[in-house]
Amino acid sequence: MPYDDLRGFLTALEDAGQLLRITDEVRPEPDIAAAANAAPRLGDAAPALYFDNVRGFTHARIAMNVHGSWANHALALGLPKETPAKEQVAQFIRRWDDFPVAPEWREDPPWAENTLEGDDVDIFEVLPLIRLNDGDGGFYIDKAAVVSKDPDDPENSGKQNVGVYRIEVKGKRKLALQPVPVHDIALHLRTAEERGEDLPVAITLGNDPVISIAASTPMKYEENEYELAGVLRGAPAPISRAPLTGLPVPWGSEVVIEGVIEGRKREIEGPFGEFTGHYSGGRSMPVIRIDRISYRTDPVFEHLYLGMPWTECDYLIAANTAVPLYKQLKADFPEVQAVNASYTHGLVVIVSTKKRYGGFAKAVGLRVLTTPHGLGYASTVIVVDEDVDPFDLPQVMWALSTKMNPAGDLIRIPNLPVVELAPQAQTPGVVDKLVVDATTPVGADRRGNYGTPVHDLPETAEWLTRLQALAARR
Amino acid sequence: MSAAPTVCPRCAHDGIEHVHSSPVPGVWEVLQCARCLYMWRTSEPARRTDRDAYPAGFRMTAEDIAAATEVPTVPPLRPTA
Repeated sequence: MPYDDLRGFLTALEDAGQLLRITDEVRPEPDIAAAANAAPRLGDAAPALYFDNVRGFTHARIAMNVHGSWANHALALGLPKETPAKEQVAQFIRRWDDFPVAPEWREDPPWAENTLEGDDVDIFEVLPLIRLNDGDGGFYIDKAAVVSKDPDDPENSGKQNVGVYRIEVKGKRKLALQPVPVHDIALHLRTAEERGEDLPVAITLGNDPVISIAASTPMKYEENEYELAGVLRGAPAPISRAPLTGLPVPWGSEVVIEGVIEGRKREIEGPFGEFTGHYSGGRSMPVIRIDRISYRTDPVFEHLYLGMPWTECDYLIAANTAVPLYKQLKADFPEVQAVNASYTHGLVVIVSTKKRYGGFAKAVGLRVLTTPHGLGYASTVIVVDEDVDPFDLPQVMWALSTKMNPAGDLIRIPNLPVVELAPQAQTPGVVDKLVVDATTPVGADRRGNYGTPVHDLPETAEWLTRLQALAARR
Repeated sequence: MSAAPTVCPRCAHDGIEHVHSSPVPGVWEVLQCARCLYMWRTSEPARRTDRDAYPAGFRMTAEDIAAATEVPTVPPLRPTA
């Protein structure tokens, strides 16, 4: 049964023992961010956190860490909460096979209950904003799905974009947004600015859990995020038309903020503790003017803590980064078995593949660098044999320990693009990238001494199943 | 609540603007520096609200603001625009 809004999912989390209500009064800072910082350290079944007793507020409702464990991620996809990460990725891949499922237009969105317009707009009256890390430049919104269209082709729903971007609150009706150049909204903004125009946007907060997953999936430019949400939900995603901009937005959002990115304008923004586990510096970035806010009564403010990995951010963008990479590689190279891009949004990517002939694994690794996501992220690619599970890091370390000879297995390519947030780049935005071939050489590649491998005993798989069953009954 | 700050904790500018007051009166205020746009709540720890306690690594100067990288850069206008 898919969830149509955040509230339905919070109820499901609570029913599954995956939501923790903090009923004692807390300070808006640093308590809520610190709790969300700590929550993922409870492990793969860490709960979401819900705060409704926040000092100085009267009606604050704040949900944190909603996607912040593999258990919660499984429930978001409608899977049992015990589903292992690797199986969640496999299920994601199977569902993507049915892409696309068109969204359905639905009337009477709950966010139409209340409206602020023009000079009456005051985001602080709507949202219980809180600050996250010590060095942040202000209050951020970092889990909203931002909707925009290609100004050169506004009727093309494939080129429309729904993405999650960091947004700084800079005034009652002024925001800043980070359009990372490798992301789709940056293409929209560039087109608008070349045309000398503003870019209309709808910023939707507090969404059903699949919208957040689809909006943070690195899809191809002409793939529609709502159509991905449909396949992940197993039902069309309900959408409604935003009243001011006409942009298609989730029917079930808690809050819909409409306005424009003001064309050709930049202003100081940040710093902000980022997904890399490092702060971005203060940079001059685009500015949003808010023209209208629509919101449910007493909206739930869904927020995300990010900092030193792993945090909720890492759970949110693990499976959905691996799956499109797998799909794109598999389309060209059927030998590819699995892709793990769970680490820091795929700055490291691990691929397992069969080998067609000598040198093939290196070619697969190089292909990762030219996928849409690889262009801006994948900095180190590790290629392993087909019988090495990329999600089992001890196996990956074994492959690196025994299959990799730096004499011929490291390919370093200078000056390739990377997100400017990647701290290892000497010049932000450009970095040397590395492909590590940790596969067993096959002809015509005859390096190494791999003639006598030790295999699992033939009965081991049967015993593993037997032990798992026995252990589960303890 | 401590006395209202007279300078920005981050850049020491003396132009501080009031943005928002707590719905429960008198608990906290949200303030913003008019120069570096740093925004904070007065109830936050001193390391975020007090110039003397504000970490050196997070401080910002007028020169930093002037030198901030443009992300993304503003493209040229199309000839027809």
